[in-house]
Amino acid sequence: MRPSDLLVACCVLRIAYRLPHVSWLMAHTLRLTLYASRLWFLVSGFSPSAPRLPFSVSRFLYFCFLLLSLAIPPASVFAVTTQEVEEALTCQCGCGLTVHSCNHLQCGFSVPAKQTIFDLVSQGKTKEEITASFASRYGEKVLSAPTTSGFNLAAWITPFLAILIGGVLIGFISLRWTRQRRQGQGNEGQQPTAPVPDHYRERLKEELESFEN
Amino acid sequence: MSHLGSLALYLAFLLSLYALVTSLWGGSRRRLDWVASSVHAAHAVFACVSIAVMALLHALLTRDFNVEYVSSYSSSTLPLQYTIAAVWGGQKGSLLFWTFLLTFFSTLVHVQNREKNRDLMPYVTATLMMIALFFLGLLCFITPPFERLSFTPQEGSDLNPLLQNYWMTLHPPSLYLGYVSAAVPFAFAMAALATGKLGDVWIRTTRRWALTSWFFLSIGNILGGRWAYEVLGWGGYWAWDPVENAAIMPWFTATAYLHSVMIQEKKNMLKVWNMALVILTFSLTIFGTFLTRSGVISSVHSFTQSGLGPYFMAFLLLEICVALGLLFYRLPELKSENELDSLLSREAAFLLNNWVLVGLAFATFWGTVFPVLSEWVRGVKITVGPPFFNKVNGPLGIVLLLLTGIGPIIAWRCASMKSLRKNFTIPLLIGALMGMAFFALGYRNYYAVVILSLAGFVLGAIVVEFLRGTRARQTMLHESPPQAFGRLVSKNPRRYGGYIVHVGIVLIFIGIAGSSFFKIEKQLPLQPGESVEAGRYLLTYQGIQNSEDAHISSQAAIINVFLGDQQIDTLHPEKRFYKRQQQPTTGAAIRPTLRDDLYIVLGAYDEVSGLATLQIFVNPLQSWLWIGGILLVMGACITMMPTPAERHALVLARSQDGAARETVTS
Repeated sequence: MRPSDLLVACCVLRIAYRLPHVSWLMAHTLRLTLYASRLWFLVSGFSPSAPRLPFSVSRFLYFCFLLLSLAIPPASVFAVTTQEVEEALTCQCGCGLTVHSCNHLQCGFSVPAKQTIFDLVSQGKTKEEITASFASRYGEKVLSAPTTSGFNLAAWITPFLAILIGGVLIGFISLRWTRQRRQGQGNEGQQPTAPVPDHYRERLKEELESFEN
Repeated sequence: MSHLGSLALYLAFLLSLYALVTSLWGGSRRRLDWVASSVHAAHAVFACVSIAVMALLHALLTRDFNVEYVSSYSSSTLPLQYTIAAVWGGQKGSLLFWTFLLTFFSTLVHVQNREKNRDLMPYVTATLMMIALFFLGLLCFITPPFERLSFTPQEGSDLNPLLQNYWMTLHPPSLYLGYVSAAVPFAFAMAALATGKLGDVWIRTTRRWALTSWFFLSIGNILGGRWAYEVLGWGGYWAWDPVENAAIMPWFTATAYLHSVMIQEKKNMLKVWNMALVILTFSLTIFGTFLTRSGVISSVHSFTQSGLGPYFMAFLLLEICVALGLLFYRLPELKSENELDSLLSREAAFLLNNWVLVGLAFATFWGTVFPVLSEWVRGVKITVGPPFFNKVNGPLGIVLLLLTGIGPIIAWRCASMKSLRKNFTIPLLIGALMGMAFFALGYRNYYAVVILSLAGFVLGAIVVEFLRGTRARQTMLHESPPQAFGRLVSKNPRRYGGYIVHVGIVLIFIGIAGSSFFKIEKQLPLQPGESVEAGRYLLTYQGIQNSEDAHISSQAAIINVFLGDQQIDTLHPEKRFYKRQQQPTTGAAIRPTLRDDLYIVLGAYDEVSGLATLQIFVNPLQSWLWIGGILLVMGACITMMPTPAERHALVLARSQDGAARETVTS
C-alpha cells in the first residue's frame, strides 16, 4: 500500500464519518509525514553512515497515523464564546491587558465591553462581526492582534518568513559543511598511508560512542 | 549629601572619559603606564558612582523631600524596604543603579584579570567605560537624580503602589544584574575584535560572565512573572507586554550563545556567529532599557517615561555600527574550519536550537516594534498583544522543548542507528505513554497533550542520562548510589548542571501548559453566607474585614475554602488603598498546591448590602512553573562551579605561586 492510497482511504473513512475538518487535518498530517520521510532520505543520502528507515517501519508509521486520526473525536460545534471575543480585544483603560484579563472591576472600558460582547454573542453574531464593530468604533488599536490583511499581514508573515529563510540558510550551510567534510575525507583517502581495516574503524567508532555517552 | 552625590557623578563622568581615552591610547601604543592609569581611573569611577548611590539612599532614608526624586518616589510613611527599593523605583534612580552595577562589574573584571589578558584588557576597559560614559552623561546632563525643587514639600507623593511588593525589591535588581553583566562578554568580544586575538581566550574568559548574565536574566524574568501573578491580580503571570518582551529577548539570545559556544569550544566552529550573538544580546539589553525608558511603546511597566528615547536610540545605533564594523573588519580572520560529520549529530541539534531561539527573539522583537512600524507606514495605531505572541511563539516554544530532549542524548559528530536506538527508545516510549495517558484521561487539547508528552520525553531522556552515568560510576568505581550521583555531578558540573536547567525548563513548560489550557475562571457577586463552586473547591463568602494603618487602608473578604465537606483554609483577598497616591490596588489571595492554585481577587464591594464581587481562578499545575524556576536557578549555579580541570589548575597555580614566593623570601 502506498502512502497516497492511505491518504485516499483516510479521506473516504472521514467522509463516511462526516467529519470534514478532521479529514483535512489527516491529509495534512499525512502530507507532513511524507515530506518528513523525503527529507529523511535526503539527509541520510548525504551522510554515508546515517541510518535509513526501513520501508516496513515507514509503512508502520503511516498506519499509526491512520489509527491516530480515527481516534480523534469530532470537535464540538464551534460556537463563539464570550471569552474568545474578549481575548481578541485590548482594554483601553491603560492596563495593557485584554478585555478578558482586565481586572479593574469598575473599569470604564472592559465592564461595558464585556456586557456588549455578551449581548452580541447571544444575538448570534460571529467573532469577526463583533470585533469589527469594536474596531470601527475605537479604531484598530482595540484589536489585541493585528488583522490578517494589507500591511498588517507583514506582522504575521515576517517572523515565519525570517525563520524559514534562516532554516533554509542553516540547512544549506550545514549540508555544505557535511559535504566539505566528506570531500576532506576523500582527500585523506588519497594519502599514501596504509588503509585502516574496516573492522578497526567500526570498533573505534563504537568505543568513541560508548566513551562519549 | 546630595551635593556630594552630584559632584561624585560629575567626577565619575570626567574620570570615565579619562579612562576611555587613556585605555585606548595605552592599548594602541602599548604603553603599560597609560593602561595602568586607565584601570585606576575605572576603579575611581566605581568609587564615585558608589558615593552617588549612597547619597541617593541617604536622601531617601532621611526623607529629604527637597530632592525632586525623593519627593516623587517616596513618602514619610513608606516602609524601609520599599524606601531602599525606591533607589531603582524611578527612572533617574534606575539609571544610576544601572551605572553602579556596570562600574562594579568593570572593577570586578579588572580585579579578575589583574595578571591575565594583558592584550585584551585595555579594550575591555575602553568598552565598559564607553558604556559608563553614556549613562553618566545622561545622569549628569539630561536626568540628574539629585535635582532640587524650588520649595520643600511637606510630604512625598510615594512610590507607585504596584511597586510596593517584596518581589519588586528583588525583580528589578536581578534583571539589571542580567542586563548589565551582558556588557562584560560584549566588552571582551569588542576587545578580541579590536586586537585580533580571536582565539579561545575571550570565549573562556567570558563563559562564566555570559552564564552569570543568563542566570540573572532568568531570575529577573521569573521574579517578574511572580510579581505580576501576585500584584496585577488578573490570574496570569505573563502578558507579552513590551517590557516583558524586552526582558525575554536577551534571554533567548543568551541561551542560544550558551549552547553555540560549546560548538566553538569543542570544534572551533561558528566563531562569527558567537560573536554576533554576544553583540546581539548586549544590543537587546540596551534596546530593553530604551523600551522601558522611552515610552515609545505603551506598556503596563511604563512607570517612568521620559524623552530619553532619542539618546538611547543614538547610543544603540553607535554601538551596533562600531560592533558590526569591527566584526566585518575581522571577518577574514574569523573564518573557521566548519565541518559537520553528519546532520544527525549534536552539533546539528545545536544549530537547530540556535535557529529556534534566535527565531523566538526575532518574532518577539517584531511583534514588539510592529505597532511603531504600523504607525510610521500607515499612520494607524494598532496593538500586538498576547494572541499574536501565543500563535507565533507558541509553536516555536514546542520545537524548542523537543530539541531540549534531543540535544543532550544525540551523539556528538555522528549518531549511528545503534546509538539512536540506545538513547532514544526509553525517552520516546515515556513521551508516547504520557501522551496516550493524557489522551485516555480525556484531555482533548492537542496543544497541551503535545507539550505534556514532549515533557515526558525530555524528562525521560534526562533521567536516563543520570541513571546511566550513576550506574557507570557504581560498577566502575564501586561507589554507593548517592555517592556516585554526587560525584557524577561534581565531576562534570557543566553537563549535569545543564541537565538540571533542562528539567527546570520542562517544569516551566508543564506549568504554562496546565495554567493556560486548563484554567477555570469565574466572576460573580456574592452575598455574605453564599457559596460558589470553583473546580474542586467550594468557597463560602463570610463577610468583609476592614483594617487601616498610616500608609494603607484595606478591605479583605473572608472566604472559607472547602474541599469536599471539610474546610481546608480561609483566604483573604484584599483591596488596598494607598493613601498618598490615592490609588486602589488588588491583593490577590493565593492558595498554592502542587495540583492547582486557587486564586481569588476581591473586586467591587458594596458596604450597604455587603455584596462583594469576586474573581476566582483555579490555575492547574501553576506551582510547577515556580518550582521549575527554582530548579533552573539551582542548575545554573551548578554549571558555574569549577570543573575538576579548573580546580586542578587553580591548585597548581597556587602552589606555584607559593613556591615562587618561597624562593623570593629565601
